Amino acid sequence: MEDDRKARPANPDPERRKVLRMLGKGSVLAAFLAQIGAAGRAFFPNVLYEPPSRFKLKRPSDYPEGYTFDSAKRLFIVRKADSFHTISAICTHLGCTVQWKAVEFDCPCHGSRFRPDGTVIGGPAPRPLSWWQTAVSPDGFIEIDTSTEVAIGTELIAKTGKA
Amino acid sequence: MAEPRESYEAKDFGWMVAMSIVLLVLVGISYWREFDTEWGKYQDEFPTVLSHFGRGDDVKAFRPGIRQIWIPKIGVTDRCITCHLGYEWSSVLPASIAEPLTPHSMNPWLAKHEFAKFGCTPCHGGDGWATTVVGGHEGGKGWEDPMLSNKLAAENGLTRGEMMQMRCNFCHRHDVATPGMDEINIAKALFKKKKCIMCHVVEGNGGVTGPELTYEGDKNPELVDFAHVTGPKTFFNWNVQHLKAAETVTPGSQMPDFNMPPDQARAMTLLLLSWRRLSYPPEYIPDPTVAAAAMAAIATPSASPSPTPAAAAH
Amino acid sequence: MREQLRRLWRQIFWAWTPNSDREASEAIVKNLWLHWFPAKIARASMDWNYSFWLGTASASLLLILTVTGVMLMFFYVPSTERAYGSIKDLEYAVSFGRILRNQHRWSAEGMVAVVFIHMARVFFTGAYRGSRSINWLVGIALLLGTLLLSFTGYLLPWDQLAFWAITVGTSIAKEAPVVGASVQYILLGGHEIGQQTLLRFYVLHVFFLPIFVWILFGYHMWRVRKDGGLAALEPMRIARMMRPKETPRTKSYSFFGITPGTSVAVMSSTGLEEEDQVFSSPNLTRRLTLVFLAVFNVTLAAALMFNAPLEGPANPSVTPNPAKAPWYFVWLQELVASTTIRIGPISVSGGFIGGILVPGFLLLLITFWPWFDRSPLKAEGVWFPPERRRQNYTFIGAMVVIVALIFVGVYLRGPYWRIYWPGQARPEMPRLY
Repeated sequence: MEDDRKARPANPDPERRKVLRMLGKGSVLAAFLAQIGAAGRAFFPNVLYEPPSRFKLKRPSDYPEGYTFDSAKRLFIVRKADSFHTISAICTHLGCTVQWKAVEFDCPCHGSRFRPDGTVIGGPAPRPLSWWQTAVSPDGFIEIDTSTEVAIGTELIAKTGKA
Repeated sequence: MAEPRESYEAKDFGWMVAMSIVLLVLVGISYWREFDTEWGKYQDEFPTVLSHFGRGDDVKAFRPGIRQIWIPKIGVTDRCITCHLGYEWSSVLPASIAEPLTPHSMNPWLAKHEFAKFGCTPCHGGDGWATTVVGGHEGGKGWEDPMLSNKLAAENGLTRGEMMQMRCNFCHRHDVATPGMDEINIAKALFKKKKCIMCHVVEGNGGVTGPELTYEGDKNPELVDFAHVTGPKTFFNWNVQHLKAAETVTPGSQMPDFNMPPDQARAMTLLLLSWRRLSYPPEYIPDPTVAAAAMAAIATPSASPSPTPAAAAH
Repeated sequence: MREQLRRLWRQIFWAWTPNSDREASEAIVKNLWLHWFPAKIARASMDWNYSFWLGTASASLLLILTVTGVMLMFFYVPSTERAYGSIKDLEYAVSFGRILRNQHRWSAEGMVAVVFIHMARVFFTGAYRGSRSINWLVGIALLLGTLLLSFTGYLLPWDQLAFWAITVGTSIAKEAPVVGASVQYILLGGHEIGQQTLLRFYVLHVFFLPIFVWILFGYHMWRVRKDGGLAALEPMRIARMMRPKETPRTKSYSFFGITPGTSVAVMSSTGLEEEDQVFSSPNLTRRLTLVFLAVFNVTLAAALMFNAPLEGPANPSVTPNPAKAPWYFVWLQELVASTTIRIGPISVSGGFIGGILVPGFLLLLITFWPWFDRSPLKAEGVWFPPERRRQNYTFIGAMVVIVALIFVGVYLRGPYWRIYWPGQARPEMPRLY
């Protein structure tokens, strides 16, 4: 045993070896962490196969008075004469679709209730239903941006001629 | 003081034998379930029926098992024919054979709606995946498209044939009138006569006083108010009542009271509920001019003395 | 003849009796599958009424779930277009498919229940002290793994139940402070539930989470042995220490021949007396087989009696009324539905309080409980010792609340999440026709 150990060449510079060892371990560790980061990053999709958050619906004149539910986009277009706004149908509690019941919105999941302007009457919903930014596109369609919320009461005035 | 070693052995051994026997019994039951199927009984019966009507060769060719009509482009997987074995045997078997072996009636429109192209559920409704009576006809919990049975039609004040016209109109919605779809034809004429389009948008045209009706058949029945509706709590009934007296059903509604007689209201409801989103390829969508020509042929009997509606229709 | 039959039975049911002690211990030590068990096991550990063999039952369920799950993987297609149809196929067209799915489903629900009751048992007997506290943490991770497996499995049938339970579940994740939106984004693979979500939940369900649970399970078992077996043995060890020392008389070999006196006393690995122990083979091996058989029978019987739920195909535009989570999450749903706080203009969502704060607090509390427990050592390994009465009542109290919430959620909640008492008429939900 003793002989074996002596046969090995003596470490010429222990300090240098220590630094190199640190460098080696550090490199592997850093590279490993970076790899984990890369793998993690891949899970955040850069493109989405889902409809864009900004989209056109129909022309303002195509909407009747009152609340029109768009089941595909999960929102309500609300028309009063020439003024329009868009209220989200996604419950602010946990994302179920609320139902318009003539005088209020009701959520089937946990019983949240909202006034016609989207503010909360009762139930667990913490916030009023979102009002999405609503505009008329240059070619005359209602254009909604569900990534932008507007203040409650923000109306789009669109002269339609017939109402 | 401590338990003798033998005691574990005796007790555990006894339990183990018991559990093993229980296991065998349970596995036995699962086999019994697998082979004692509802459809198996009908399939046992069918060869007897075939041979009774002199089709011995076909009995030899008969292979038991689950059968399905699979049409991926319209999303059809219909296993109805696993039990309804006589469906394509109307030339041999009499219509009097009890269900489910009864042959499909050779009605005139079947010629253009072959089993292989349409399957069963597009016309009849129900859950085509199922291989049990209840599962196939009613569907499980939350299945929204039950088979249109005599019973279901009667509950809505219609015959099954009338009720099924709703499903015909999934595809035939652009026909002005279609041979054999009397209820829908009445409704389409009424729709024009009552000028519904003045207030309702249908496929991009119409007034905006009332809600859009393009996909009325897809509407969630929970979204309408049943407070003022008498009778069954169905979207069908709501529509019937609403067409009779809109103000009563929806207070404040601007829709005029059409005072529709019940049969007209039911026909209108069939039309409204037939308007659904459909993703059939173009070859499945009928050309309205064909139906128009067929209707014209029926209207002038001299041109074709005994018209079979469907033969003329396509 | 009789003896022959007896031997045949014993062969079939692996109830053989080793011919010697050496054979008995080698049956364990030299066997690939059994070597992680001790060669001998304390009689106290074999007791039905201490552990109720809940850990073995959990492991049995895990095994059943893995085997049935791998079978199901051959028939299931993780695509939004075909997932629902492949479940329908399992129900109606695959031979034994319905039983397979039912057994997987009921085993999964059983595992949530059994793993939780197992934890309760460990708590009530205070079996989480000293070096066992590490295994307590592993156990909590296993409970979380079980719950996550259930949650991810829930989405896969792609029916209405699945779609809206996942909508609610991932919306709770969104309520987490700072990282919430990112967590939801990464779980869904986008902003809405879609193909990416299904695929992610599928891979988590069939690969990552099972691997995680199996590895932790192995470690859990290994630690049970390293920590000296079940805590039920601790009272015996204490008793042994208290007993007046009677040094074993042994012979020692010295250069001068045999010397009377004592040598180093070798403690057996369990630190117990010979008469307190039995050989693991066949006592433990037979018992494990017995528990597995019993659990398997229960799940198979359940699979034959009750069908796993399946609703209509997922429809993003119609929320079912009410949309209920599976029973083991319903108590959380009750919490999220009733814990929204409003003070003037400020309001905090129940999704955060009931979905993250309360369960997070409970989780932290239970995780670090071993370090809060100041009861004397003799309270370890005993059911309901007077020294731990208050702790146990606290735990029972929390359990009663959770079970009550589950009861309310499952049996009393009706449309629009309103309470309907038994006997009270529920509104009929409208049908199409």
